[in-house]
Amino acid sequence: MTAVETRPRPAPALTAKRSRPRPALRRLARRVPLNLAALGVLAVSVFPVYWMAVTAFTPAAGIQSDTPAFWPAHPTLAHFATAVRADGFWLFWRNSLAVTASAVLLSLLVALPAAFAVARLRWRGRRAFALMVFVAQMAPWEALLIPMFVIARDTGMLDRLSMLTLVYFMCTLPFTIVTLRGFLAAIPPELEEAAMTDGAGRAAAFRLVVLPLLAPGLMSTSLFGFITAWNEFAFANALIIKNQDDRTLPVWLSSFANVFGTDWGATMAAASLFMLPVLLVFLALQRRVTSGLISGAVKG
Amino acid sequence: MSVLPRPSPRRLAGLWPYLLVAPTVAGTAFLLLYPVLRSVVISVQHFRTGELIRGGAAFVGLENYQDALGGPEFWQVVGRTFAWTAVNVVLIMAIATPVALMTARLGRRMRLAVMSGLVLTWATPVLAATTIFQWLFQSRLGVVNRLLVTLGFGSFEDHIWFAGGASTFAILVALVVWQSVPFAAITLYAGLTTIPAELEESARIDGASGAQIFRDITFPILRPLFGLITSLEVIWVFKCFAQIWAISKGGPDGATTTLPVYAFQVAQSLHKYDLGAAVSTLTVLILVAVLITHLRRMLKHEGEIL
Amino acid sequence: MRYRLLAATGLLALAAGLTACGSPSPSTAAPGSSAGAGAAPVELTVWVMRDSFSDAVLGRFTTAFRQSHPGITLDIQIQEWDGIGQKVTSGLASNDAPDVIEVGNTQVAEYAASGGVRDLTGKVADLGGADWLPGLAEPGKVDGHQYGVPWYAANRVVIYNKDLFAKAGITTPPKTREEWLTATATLDKGGDQGIYLAGQNWYTLAGFVWDEGGDLAVKDGATWKGALDTPQALAGMDFYKRLQALGEGPKDSDESRPPQADVFAKGDVAQLIATPGAAVAIEKANPGLAGNLGFFPIPGKTADRPGAVFTGGSDLIIPEASRNQDAAYEVVKALAGETFQRDMAKEMSYVPNRVSLAGALDGDEGTAAMAAAAAGGHATPNSPNWAAVEAKNVIKEYMTKALTGADPASEAAAASRTIATILNTTS
Repeated sequence: MTAVETRPRPAPALTAKRSRPRPALRRLARRVPLNLAALGVLAVSVFPVYWMAVTAFTPAAGIQSDTPAFWPAHPTLAHFATAVRADGFWLFWRNSLAVTASAVLLSLLVALPAAFAVARLRWRGRRAFALMVFVAQMAPWEALLIPMFVIARDTGMLDRLSMLTLVYFMCTLPFTIVTLRGFLAAIPPELEEAAMTDGAGRAAAFRLVVLPLLAPGLMSTSLFGFITAWNEFAFANALIIKNQDDRTLPVWLSSFANVFGTDWGATMAAASLFMLPVLLVFLALQRRVTSGLISGAVKG
Repeated sequence: MSVLPRPSPRRLAGLWPYLLVAPTVAGTAFLLLYPVLRSVVISVQHFRTGELIRGGAAFVGLENYQDALGGPEFWQVVGRTFAWTAVNVVLIMAIATPVALMTARLGRRMRLAVMSGLVLTWATPVLAATTIFQWLFQSRLGVVNRLLVTLGFGSFEDHIWFAGGASTFAILVALVVWQSVPFAAITLYAGLTTIPAELEESARIDGASGAQIFRDITFPILRPLFGLITSLEVIWVFKCFAQIWAISKGGPDGATTTLPVYAFQVAQSLHKYDLGAAVSTLTVLILVAVLITHLRRMLKHEGEIL
Repeated sequence: MRYRLLAATGLLALAAGLTACGSPSPSTAAPGSSAGAGAAPVELTVWVMRDSFSDAVLGRFTTAFRQSHPGITLDIQIQEWDGIGQKVTSGLASNDAPDVIEVGNTQVAEYAASGGVRDLTGKVADLGGADWLPGLAEPGKVDGHQYGVPWYAANRVVIYNKDLFAKAGITTPPKTREEWLTATATLDKGGDQGIYLAGQNWYTLAGFVWDEGGDLAVKDGATWKGALDTPQALAGMDFYKRLQALGEGPKDSDESRPPQADVFAKGDVAQLIATPGAAVAIEKANPGLAGNLGFFPIPGKTADRPGAVFTGGSDLIIPEASRNQDAAYEVVKALAGETFQRDMAKEMSYVPNRVSLAGALDGDEGTAAMAAAAAGGHATPNSPNWAAVEAKNVIKEYMTKALTGADPASEAAAASRTIATILNTTS
């Protein structure tokens, strides 16, 4: 955090776009501290993840050596091999992916109409509904372990990935509605109305006009839901008891030390593989997610 | 309570909105409200391992609440939770605001780089992040100790960060702040982009300094956004559980036991599910009390703030 | 396809909610009894703790059991110690529990009292319970009813790397604490560790404290007092600290994080304090060490008496919620029976569950070391709240502080107060 604290105060006479043309040299001089600060922020935010990757690729001897190397001189895949070969890794990885993806899809499917109703329609009870969604974010999920366990048991849903899916769906639903509402509100209703006067039905107008504009929002929202569900440990640990093949990755990795001992290389490789789906989604959608976060937040 | 629907140019079939929110309401009722009610019921019963297994828990009234509120431990934990929340949220806002202001002034490429870095941090799964931080601060091979030793602080050779309460607390704060700043900074930056540049321009011509501009123009315009972010961060930090549990399980010596961790410990480690449920109920009540002003304003604005 | 899945989950959601509302109160499902042994083929789930047994022992058992009980297949699942209390409780509370569970002898009483464990009082004779080890049979008994079936016992010994001892010129294992410290300091040279002792190995600390004549907690009339701050207990901690410094064991972790057998298996650690069974895990992780491991009792203060040790071991329980009660009993009977007991005693160097089987251990070095110390066996304070002391890591955190420079006396006093508070709560 120190690097962030030492950033200079934003230089006064600096506006990015519309400042009148000034001598290039002076502008450059002013830009140097600003860019240095930016580099500092970048370094602090990226370093831990970078260090994870470096460790994962550094041979064991390098990790043990007295001077830490900030770049693996002889990168190795040995740690990844160790991680992947560990008992059941891919099985749990697949379970996690299946549960997470279905929970996120279900949550989008349910949240979209609700967000539409809050953003676009006027109806009695709308205020109460909005309040309920906000308060739902405060739900103390860890405290619901025992009630959830009892409910799952009494309905024969213990030891089932579908029960986990439902829990994750509910964990992500409130935030999904809140953000989707933000994105929807940012799209002018006039666009839909224009389409409707051109003869399209409300559903068609929504599908043809609103949905494409909503794409970045849907993506950044689902990324958030994905991360939440992908991470979840407590419920996965409590609700999957006897069907050990239905365990998810976080449960299996919850105590990396149990699996890999002092092998930090393999631990970091496993952590990298754990992060991989998120990274892939992030790289594929990077632009849209970033712009999605911004446009969603504006009206947030 | 009832706000009559304003006549809208688009005439709506009255049932539509209700159909659209029905799945959400049903889901919330069955998967959230019902478990919460069960939890409240447990909190007024004698519900330990035996009752969990055999059923037939007896009603004991407010006994568990008296138990929780009567001991000194609960109040210590409450105090610690407030300190934890305050330290984190203040740091998050104090770092995110300048980062957002900075980002708005960067050139296109640099801005994209910073934004990507922030989003990457934001997207790092908690479990991966906690493992990484344990590795960074590992006593023998951790990079932090090695760098400190290289910089001449020889006393950090093999220093054990997770042995002391204060240093464990500090590392957890660093972790949570590191993970939370991106959301706050990106959202604030997005808000900054909506402020017309002319406003700042004219203030500057009038000779206002950067600090004055922020105080008199930027902040007032973005006040609702600041309010929203702060309250979301308060909720998230207050409820923060996974990071603390993964790194310290509330230790050493309870130095990192906040309310959610305490409730979990009581319920899951000590098998006092009834007492744990009471602590959880109290936790939510405290959180609602903290955010009551925000909620009240939200009611007034009819959900616009959402 | 995707939508069909979603629709299905949605329906499940509704179904879950509706039926949940309809069911009046949680109750244990009736233990199914339809699938008896020999009837329709059943698969039984057996929970065994990590590193309790080698794959070979379990494999031989599974094969033999399949032959003698056609129609029953066994799914042996290895459980981690971390968070096991919660896991077993969930299992007992579910309506399709694992059929047989291994539980530590310090924990079995709590489960037995919970009402979710099958009462096997009527089967004691059938199981050969006349001469069960009292240290395993007593904790499994509540109000005269036998719930836990003794499985095996073990106490801690020192496992050493013969090569490293030879390299350091040490020919006879140390007999007293002072000899032990000297030898360990000699071994702790170059890249080698004299001993790998994690900072939070509190069973080992307890042994040192008992050696000094102290205890973890003592009962004074009706009230408990934490005893970590007595001069005896502090002397035990002091010895622990001196020993711990002669290696690179992490001061802020216990013996399972990382698993100490794996650390020892790397070959640069001269000594380890563990049950003899750990040798099996070590040889599995590094077959190169086979035949290179020796055992000796934890040295005491004087040569004529080995150090005091905690008597550890496990019982077997059958959850009421197991759906295969009869078949599960067959498994327990076989696991507690003579064939398995002899086999595991030989391979794991554990003490069998019956006194009359002690002969199975003759001639085994690990067992000899263990037997020498067994006379000095101790137990943890006999209070139902002791599990809470363990769950709150009171002793472990005290140890880390004492090892990392805090004042042991004042930290011990604080920890003792916490222990007293926990033990004196009425539950």
